[in-house]
Amino acid sequence: MSYAYLFKYIIIGDTGVGKSCLLLQFTDKRFQPVHDLTIGVEFGARMITIDGKQIKLQIWDTAGQEAFRSITRSYYRGAAGALLVYDITRRETFNHLTTWLEDARQHSNSNMVIMLIGNKSDLESRREVKKEEGEAFAREHGLVFMETSARTAANVEEAFINTAKEIYEKIQEGVFDINNEANGIKIGTVSTPTNPSIGSNLPGGQSSNSCC
Amino acid sequence: MNFFKSGLQSVLGTSENQETMTGAETVERLVDRVQSSTMLEDRRDACRALKALSKKYRVEVGAQAMYALTQVIENDRTDNEIVGYCLDALCNIVSPDQFEEESENPHISVNIGEQFTEMFIKHPDHISLILSHLEEYDFRVRWSAIKLLTCLLANRTKEIQEVVLVSPMAISRLMDLLVDSREIIRNDSLLLLIQLTKGNANIQKIVAFENAFDKLFDVINEEGCADGGIVVEDCLILMLNLLKNNSSNQQFFKEGSYIQRLSPMLILTEEAEEVGMTPQKVSNIHCMLQIIRVLVSPNNSQQSIAACQKIMRSCGLLETLCRMLMSSGIPPDILTELINSTAEIIRGDGNNQEYFNQVLAPSNPPKPAIVILLMSMVNEKQPLVLRCAVLYCFQCYLYRNEVGQNDLIHTLLPSTKEVPATLTSGQLLCGGLFSMDAISNWFSAVSLSHALIENQNQKEQLLRSLVATSSSSQPTSLLQQCFNLLQQGQFKYQSKIGILMFLIIWLSKCEMAVRSFLSINGTISFLIAQITANEHDENEYLIQGLCAFLMGICIQFNDNGVEGNRRDDLCQLLIKRIGIETFSGKLNEVSKHESYSKAGKQPQIRIKSPADLLLDYEFCKLFKSLEPTVSKLITSFTNGNESVNELTISQEASSLVAQYKNIIREQDHKIQTLNEQVKQLHLQNESISSKLTETQTSMSQINDQNILLRAQLTAASSSGVQNQHSNMNGFYDQHATKIHELEQQVASLSHEKSHNETKIQFYEAENARLLTEIDQFGATKENESTNEKLRCEINELNSKVEQMSKDQEDLLELLADQDLKIKEYRKRLKNLGQQVEGDDDEDD
Ligand SMILES: Nc1nc2c(ncn2[C@@H]2O[C@H](COP(=O)(O)OP(=O)(O)O)[C@@H](O)[C@H]2O)c(=O)[nH]1
Ligand SMILES: [Mg+2]
Repeated sequence: MSYAYLFKYIIIGDTGVGKSCLLLQFTDKRFQPVHDLTIGVEFGARMITIDGKQIKLQIWDTAGQEAFRSITRSYYRGAAGALLVYDITRRETFNHLTTWLEDARQHSNSNMVIMLIGNKSDLESRREVKKEEGEAFAREHGLVFMETSARTAANVEEAFINTAKEIYEKIQEGVFDINNEANGIKIGTVSTPTNPSIGSNLPGGQSSNSCC
Repeated sequence: MNFFKSGLQSVLGTSENQETMTGAETVERLVDRVQSSTMLEDRRDACRALKALSKKYRVEVGAQAMYALTQVIENDRTDNEIVGYCLDALCNIVSPDQFEEESENPHISVNIGEQFTEMFIKHPDHISLILSHLEEYDFRVRWSAIKLLTCLLANRTKEIQEVVLVSPMAISRLMDLLVDSREIIRNDSLLLLIQLTKGNANIQKIVAFENAFDKLFDVINEEGCADGGIVVEDCLILMLNLLKNNSSNQQFFKEGSYIQRLSPMLILTEEAEEVGMTPQKVSNIHCMLQIIRVLVSPNNSQQSIAACQKIMRSCGLLETLCRMLMSSGIPPDILTELINSTAEIIRGDGNNQEYFNQVLAPSNPPKPAIVILLMSMVNEKQPLVLRCAVLYCFQCYLYRNEVGQNDLIHTLLPSTKEVPATLTSGQLLCGGLFSMDAISNWFSAVSLSHALIENQNQKEQLLRSLVATSSSSQPTSLLQQCFNLLQQGQFKYQSKIGILMFLIIWLSKCEMAVRSFLSINGTISFLIAQITANEHDENEYLIQGLCAFLMGICIQFNDNGVEGNRRDDLCQLLIKRIGIETFSGKLNEVSKHESYSKAGKQPQIRIKSPADLLLDYEFCKLFKSLEPTVSKLITSFTNGNESVNELTISQEASSLVAQYKNIIREQDHKIQTLNEQVKQLHLQNESISSKLTETQTSMSQINDQNILLRAQLTAASSSGVQNQHSNMNGFYDQHATKIHELEQQVASLSHEKSHNETKIQFYEAENARLLTEIDQFGATKENESTNEKLRCEINELNSKVEQMSKDQEDLLELLADQDLKIKEYRKRLKNLGQQVEGDDDEDD
């Protein structure tokens, strides 16, 4: 179970938009229609591969209730990525995005990647928020956008993986300080194939010649 | 003391008159200076003095200075010294401890610190203020703030937790303290976090989110792991707090591979084995084992338990624990917890159970670990907690482990093979069952009962087991021997309870075992005597309840195989000798008993004294599932349905299913015979058809001949045989009519035949439908109305078949008639001198 990087994600958004279902679909590949609020495991982990590297995702599902908004704030600082979820069949969840985003921007580190997700795309007949509206909101606030269905699994993989790709690119660009664990990124214990140690290229048994 | 006094004097510049006066007065003057002095120096001195007074004059300082001190913390935050004094003074005021200095003060109440805490946190801002000072790197400020928060938390955990939870960066800051290079800060912040995380799942989650496990494992490693000091223990206690009842964090712990980090810390070096463990090491290991148990606790979800169990085997943790279990010099506290941990790691996991079964103790010759453990269980000299742990471990080994159950029972069966060199588990348990030690009796009976849970086959196998209590006596069956034990007067109540539970589990859902039990002389009269005895002791009530339940089982699972002890006989006995109300009352004694609710809570036996060893978890489970059935059975007598037939119908699932099976079998049989009949009818039909074709062919031949005859007749008449001709003509007319008739009959016959065929087709279709219905019926088994309908349909079909057979017979008769008539006509034709072709031979 060794990995090159570990990314911490949080999932935020109003209650009932499908955060827990998205997590379960991504980690366990199943959909549980009636989610028990009281005993739900609000943590999941999965390994993905990006650019040939193993990346471990640690995902923390937060309480969406307004009353617990202040608790949610504690998670922002330590996260590298956030999935901000609304429900395409309930406009008010879309309307609340601004406050969620303000909260996130205020309490997170500035490099946190935020992915906007319009969930329940399977319920086309009950749609209240047009896809274009989601796209416009994302463009305006500089977010990546995607419509998903935790029920049919449509775009769920992509949502989590694309977020990871964004983070990965930021690391490559040197934007993220990967040595500060408070950013929600951890370097794995294994050496990555792109960083072969110099010693391995030398013929064996000649370490005495090395200048270091 | 003198130091403080002189210090005070220098600050106040006055001499004290009376001690009691000065306390309040001094504080008042100091507070005044703190608030009014414009010089920082002055304020600092006053605060230092308040701090010094805050132990002895806690009430005065608390009542008068709390506000002033808080103000200074806020306003003079740039001066670390003065902030340090204020924080310390506040800490003293709210401290839950009683100080030596105030021990002589009669006015001080015990919960004074709590009262001041309440005052202080009336303003949530105050807590935020303290939290903000955690960011100050200065040692005095940071350390004092940590201590003050810890005191506040100790007094008012919930309230402070709520405030901390909604302060966005608070937990983050607290977690940073764990990596403070100053050990005392790190250590005291551990204590603070232990208080903070108690029983608050949201805080626990955030603390885990802030990389708590990584940080804690780093500290543990730095401090020397299991060999480290109390800081290691504190780290482990904090981890335990984070994991207890927190499925999210357990999942995180598992996913983060922290089990794999914990595992190697439990490996004991050989040196450690010889030297023994320090008390601190004992505590550390104890905590580690508790962490393991939290992850595989039977209270967790099955999915999460199974995942952790698998990891614990694959990362070598189970192996490490088993090795520790079998090594010498393990202190008893650890040994008990070690056994309990092993128990829960193997519980219900086939691979882990199998691994455990293979563990050998390093004795000469090597003995199975299970045998060694059972030896301790039936050994009176071992501590009770250890014996309970072994029982739990053995139960966990047998839990959903059919192979293990079979193995154990096998050691109790008569075998043709030689006696094994070492003692077997079965022998040990039998020894325990018949020993003089009541606790051993109980442990052994319960252990044996666990080999029979949900295992029909072994319940029957065990009936073959023979035991000889002394070398001289004849071997008797284990069942008989258990009954003998029950009857012994000197047998203690605990032993009786153990044996009764064993018998109940053995006999439940096993008609063969019930029959064997009822075949033993006097079993029922013994049970009745027990149930009706006039007892006054709570534990005796429990025994009566168990006896009633056992009797209920004997009625419920009775196959009427024992003359005089049939279901009906036992019902009559129950009504006449015990009375339904008495019986129900006694049955209720079991669930009413204190130990029923206690034992039913968790699989592990949790008792304080040997006397508490009464009911067992699995037994309670069985009782819970079967008691309603037995109760219903008994109340069905009260409703006047004393007839056994009624009773049989009102039986629960098992007998119902048996009943339905019989019906299905009967119907299967009927269908088979009906199918047979259909086949025969087919054959008959075929033969009729072929005969019909034959008849038709001969008819047409006769017709041809007729035409020929007519032609010849015309020729004859023209040759002038007029008389004969007219005669012949009349005859021929007659003949033609007859033939016409015959043709009609043949037509109707073929019509009849096709009708018959349709009927057969319909019948076949009906048959197929019936078969599918029976299939469906077999699947549901409970649909009585379908059953009824089916029966009707079968009856109907039967009568139809009968009808058809009759029709068939009629047809056959008709055919025979037809045949006869045709023959006659032939004869007549012959007589008329005509050569009839076809069936010549017949006529010859
Ligand atoms: N049709 C549909 N229902 C969904 C989808 N995702 C979640 N739900 C339902 O929405 C409700 C709330 O989901 P949940 O995951 O508990 O929301 P949370 O409060 O954000 O964690 C549940 O009844 C889910 O069954 C989806 O993609 N499609
Ligand atoms: Mg949820």
